[in-house]
Amino acid sequence: MVLLEVRGMTKEFGGLRAIDSLDLTIEKGQIFGLIGPNGAGKSTAFNCIAGAFAPTAGVITFNNETINGQKPWNLCKKGLARTFQIVKPFASKSVLYNVMVASFATTNSRQVAEEKAIKVLESLNFADKKDILSSNLTIADRKRLEIARALATEPKLLLLDEVMAGLRPNEVDEMVEVLKKIREQGTTIFVIEHIMRAIMALSDRIVVIQFGKKIAEGTPKEIANNENVIKAYLGEDYVAA
Amino acid sequence: MNYKNINKVALVAILLIAFGLPLVIRSATYLHILVLLFFYAYLTTSWNLVGGFAGVLPLGHAAFVGIGAYTSTILFLQYGISPWIGMLVGGVLATIAGILIGLPTFKMRGAYFALATIAFAEGFRVIVENIDYIGPFKINGPRGLQIPPLDIGLANFMFASKEPYYYIILIMLVAVVVLTYVISRSKLGYYLNAGGEEPEAAMALGVNVARAKLIAMAMSSFLTAMAGTFYAQFTLYIHPKSIISLDLSFEIAFIALIGGRGSIAGPILGALLLRPVGDFSRIYFGDTLPGMHLIIFGLVLILVMHYQPRGLQEPLTRLYNNLIRRITHNTTGR
Amino acid sequence: MYYIIEDTINGILMGSIYGLTAMGLTIIFGVLKVVNFAHGSMLMVGMYLAYWAVTLSGMHPYLAIVLVAPAMFLFGYTLQNFVIKPIFIAEKNVREPLTVIIVTTGIWYILDNLTLLIFGPQYRSLADNPLNGQMLEIGEMFISVPKLYGCITAVITALGVYWFFQKTDMGRAIRATSMDREAASLMGINQYKIYNVAFGIGAATAGIAAVTLVPFYNVFPTVGVLFDIKGFIIVVLGGLGSIGGALAGGIIIGIIESVGPQFMTATWTEAIVYGLFLVVLFVKPSGLFGQKHDW
Repeated sequence: MVLLEVRGMTKEFGGLRAIDSLDLTIEKGQIFGLIGPNGAGKSTAFNCIAGAFAPTAGVITFNNETINGQKPWNLCKKGLARTFQIVKPFASKSVLYNVMVASFATTNSRQVAEEKAIKVLESLNFADKKDILSSNLTIADRKRLEIARALATEPKLLLLDEVMAGLRPNEVDEMVEVLKKIREQGTTIFVIEHIMRAIMALSDRIVVIQFGKKIAEGTPKEIANNENVIKAYLGEDYVAA
Repeated sequence: MNYKNINKVALVAILLIAFGLPLVIRSATYLHILVLLFFYAYLTTSWNLVGGFAGVLPLGHAAFVGIGAYTSTILFLQYGISPWIGMLVGGVLATIAGILIGLPTFKMRGAYFALATIAFAEGFRVIVENIDYIGPFKINGPRGLQIPPLDIGLANFMFASKEPYYYIILIMLVAVVVLTYVISRSKLGYYLNAGGEEPEAAMALGVNVARAKLIAMAMSSFLTAMAGTFYAQFTLYIHPKSIISLDLSFEIAFIALIGGRGSIAGPILGALLLRPVGDFSRIYFGDTLPGMHLIIFGLVLILVMHYQPRGLQEPLTRLYNNLIRRITHNTTGR
Repeated sequence: MYYIIEDTINGILMGSIYGLTAMGLTIIFGVLKVVNFAHGSMLMVGMYLAYWAVTLSGMHPYLAIVLVAPAMFLFGYTLQNFVIKPIFIAEKNVREPLTVIIVTTGIWYILDNLTLLIFGPQYRSLADNPLNGQMLEIGEMFISVPKLYGCITAVITALGVYWFFQKTDMGRAIRATSMDREAASLMGINQYKIYNVAFGIGAATAGIAAVTLVPFYNVFPTVGVLFDIKGFIIVVLGGLGSIGGALAGGIIIGIIESVGPQFMTATWTEAIVYGLFLVVLFVKPSGLFGQKHDW
């Protein structure tokens, strides 16, 4: 079943075309990867899908509903959650408070919100840090908090924007396991990532974009051998070699 | 006795003292000072709903005080409507004004909201100062309105002594503090804090930030206007320079900021600390060194922002907690 | 009909001086993203400086620019460096530190009341300066000479500031910081030094504005408050952060204040200005001339 479908999505800033008629189809239960060199427009694509920007053109369908230009808080309630590349914790508040803000998305009761938040924290092996101020967390834990908050909104689709950047190799492995677990629990994941090892291990399907345009799509294996992709990442010289 | 129980006992003790004070203090002057202190604590707590929790900086709350005071006074003088009802009508009008200011500005940088509130309050003052009538309603321009103390009694919100005023403002203060407490622990409180700190992240987590702020602003304006009616009935004389002044707007903000915005105790602590400083330096320096109390205000403000940007409630709470810990430790140790 | 033209011209002249008083406000906001509530007080300090410089030396009032502008630059630079910067550093995780706005309010209270303490509440004016009361006669119209000089100064200052931001290295560094402070600091730009300089420039423009005002405007401790609130309205009308917008916003207000009294009581024009401000906030919150979505 198709969960998210993007057709001809274009986003222009002034004269600059950051996204150029992008097509994507994400099936329910997939882990879907989006990669591309720096400045390719990955985060812009996320921002358009998650409602932070309205796309200039194109149609975004989520769960059989057109969601173009809807506000982020409404999309969140419809089951579309995202994390930010530059983490944005509510710095003066505890980890639990942070996650409770998110779990209020589906309830009005403080007690229910707290129970749900703790459940999410436990599932991420994070519950022991629930009373720590989020400004005192390490980078890895801040990334984990971003995921915890997004999960606490009970999303159908989770948009993860470089949640592994800045992590140590063993932390990356841990994160890969966490994401697999999230998928097993029934959440579809759409992930932007720079760490190739991780995205190759995780994704069922990958789209590569450059200058806002799709240049390749396929399984991790197909992508790894795609000439266009190698060119985009390493330059013309490497293709021949 | 454990920590929670001690807190409860302390709270009850403070309430008992507050309600018992008029039995001990018989001087009308001191009671007057106390009434004003509670009045400011009430105003600041109301301000705190939007200025503290929502992370914006309203600097025109005097306008709402003015709307409350003028509405109830006009209704009473011209139509004989009880100020208690006028209080609610004023609240509704202030709420409408608050929403109108918040609607365009809450989507923008905080600076716009701060400037819009100032402009609204100043514009309102200029209008009140320059007209004698709005339609059938007599405003009386810069001369203000006087309420003749003829029909004294609860129904007319007018009393011969200070005590009733003392109890009314105290009950209003307790009510607004309880309300603040309830909100801070509710979904709205979480949403306000989140939206104030990181609006983008909050929106992505399902928070309609502008709407949460609007709700807070509506409540804050309503409650502030009620204080305006109280002030009119307490002094029985209102004029634009006294209640719609920029100075009042700023003093409310200063008390909150120095006490600690976004906290429940902050506004009360701020009023307790700052009102006496203002009163005494006005009394002692007022003639020889004009403006001295404002220099002191400015200095205190800068120092607090430097060393305790979350306000004085933070170190004071820590001190209190240490004290309690020591006491509980000693008693359990025995 | 002549009256209207005459009032309009005088309104434009006075309005461009308003724009000049607000220019520093918009520069400082553009870079620091903070509304400087002490801006009117800096203008007031500049006016006292200019007043005393001219009174004590007997020089031409406009010559005081040479003294007042650099002095105000230093004043602003120092104020930002020692009083405001520490707060920025303490709150560097906060997106828009309101505590900084509050500190500028504290500075406002201190400056105004210290001045009151030192110089007393009385109004001072440069009664016998060569510009006082000078009028230019064009046909049947009278144009105020000191305001004309002020207008010319405002335009020159605006062009100078614009040139500085576009063409000098420091100006470019300031613009880079105002666009993205993180990126600029990654490029090796010291964000806080930029703030100092921007604040200094803002203060210096207030100093220049003070010099243009002193020949025809009274000097007193709370004179800044009038210009403060006017300044807030001007910069929102023109678009916070836009230098040309400040000038345009000032001229709009100048014209309303000058032409308005032909049709209504003078005090009502004030209410119209506030009304216009709120209407602009509703209809075009980025200001009449603001371009970027920077709010």
